[in-house]
Amino acid sequence: MTEALSITTERLRLRPIAPEDFPHWRAFYATDHSRFVGGPKSEEDAWWKLTQFVGDWAMSGHGFWSVETKDGDYLGRVGLEIAPNWTAPELGWSFLPEAGGKGYATEAAAAVRAHERRRMGYDEVHSFIHPDNEASARVAQRLGAAPDVAIEAPWAEHVVYRHPPEAA
Amino acid sequence: MDIPVIETERLRLRGLGPDDVGAVAAFYASDRAKYVGGPKTLDASWRAVATEIGHWTLKGFGRFAIEEKATGAFVGVTGPWEPPSFPEPELGWDLMEGFEGKGYATEAAAAARDWCYRALGLATLISAVNPLNAASARVAERLGAAHESDFEHELFGLVQIWRHPGPEASS
Repeated sequence: MTEALSITTERLRLRPIAPEDFPHWRAFYATDHSRFVGGPKSEEDAWWKLTQFVGDWAMSGHGFWSVETKDGDYLGRVGLEIAPNWTAPELGWSFLPEAGGKGYATEAAAAVRAHERRRMGYDEVHSFIHPDNEASARVAQRLGAAPDVAIEAPWAEHVVYRHPPEAA
Repeated sequence: MDIPVIETERLRLRGLGPDDVGAVAAFYASDRAKYVGGPKTLDASWRAVATEIGHWTLKGFGRFAIEEKATGAFVGVTGPWEPPSFPEPELGWDLMEGFEGKGYATEAAAAARDWCYRALGLATLISAVNPLNAASARVAERLGAAHESDFEHELFGLVQIWRHPGPEASS
């Protein structure tokens, strides 16, 4: 199985998702804050979701990291996922409400995008974003991604944001 | 994590992987999945396989793909899992269409159960069976399990809890 490599940015540490993250996943999925990523979810469903994200690495050689501050405070998750009928590897992020507004998602997603392009050689990277998810759309824009309505997202109602090639 | 391979007379139990997504999707698209969370889309089936693998990584055990040794055909899935919603590890089995009536589920689940007792050191095992799923209850009976209680599961609704014979009885 491919292990998630740790990534360090100016303010953040990205490390493989671990069972110890579960209380944060449960808290994240317990509120309406998770509505754009399939929530809210029960404790049971949140556990299955964490299990799936752990298994993603073995399925496809890539997946999600847990993001924390350098003091070890859990902030959220970021990573790449790909499934057979998707348009391209999907760069996604989900952060706890209290981690918002600090540019953490942008910083973490930019690091993963650069890291995975180096490691896997991807040109095309997409993010699937619900039109009502303004916070995520802002992160995508900060990352230099732009909506491309010519591409149909694999998830109903979502918009495909294309990331710029070799974005810094 | 290295998932062991278990051989029985007619079957091989092995870890699930990306190559199994098609078969798993076919199972979840069929009527046979109605008691175990189906139907699911291709996307969801991909994720279901990822979840099976993640269970092994997180817990050190999980469910196996069942292969027919003679043909290599994907016959189904069996093995232990332990989500928070079950009071203890649960041994389940799903059989693909066209492989019923051969005793495959019983043969595979018995081998998985032996492995749970031998390799994991478990002292007991339960199986959760939907009360409408008579075929599955028959497998539980053939395995020597007994209907012990009923349990309201948050995803699957009311299920019967069947208790398996312990390691000393089944070895």
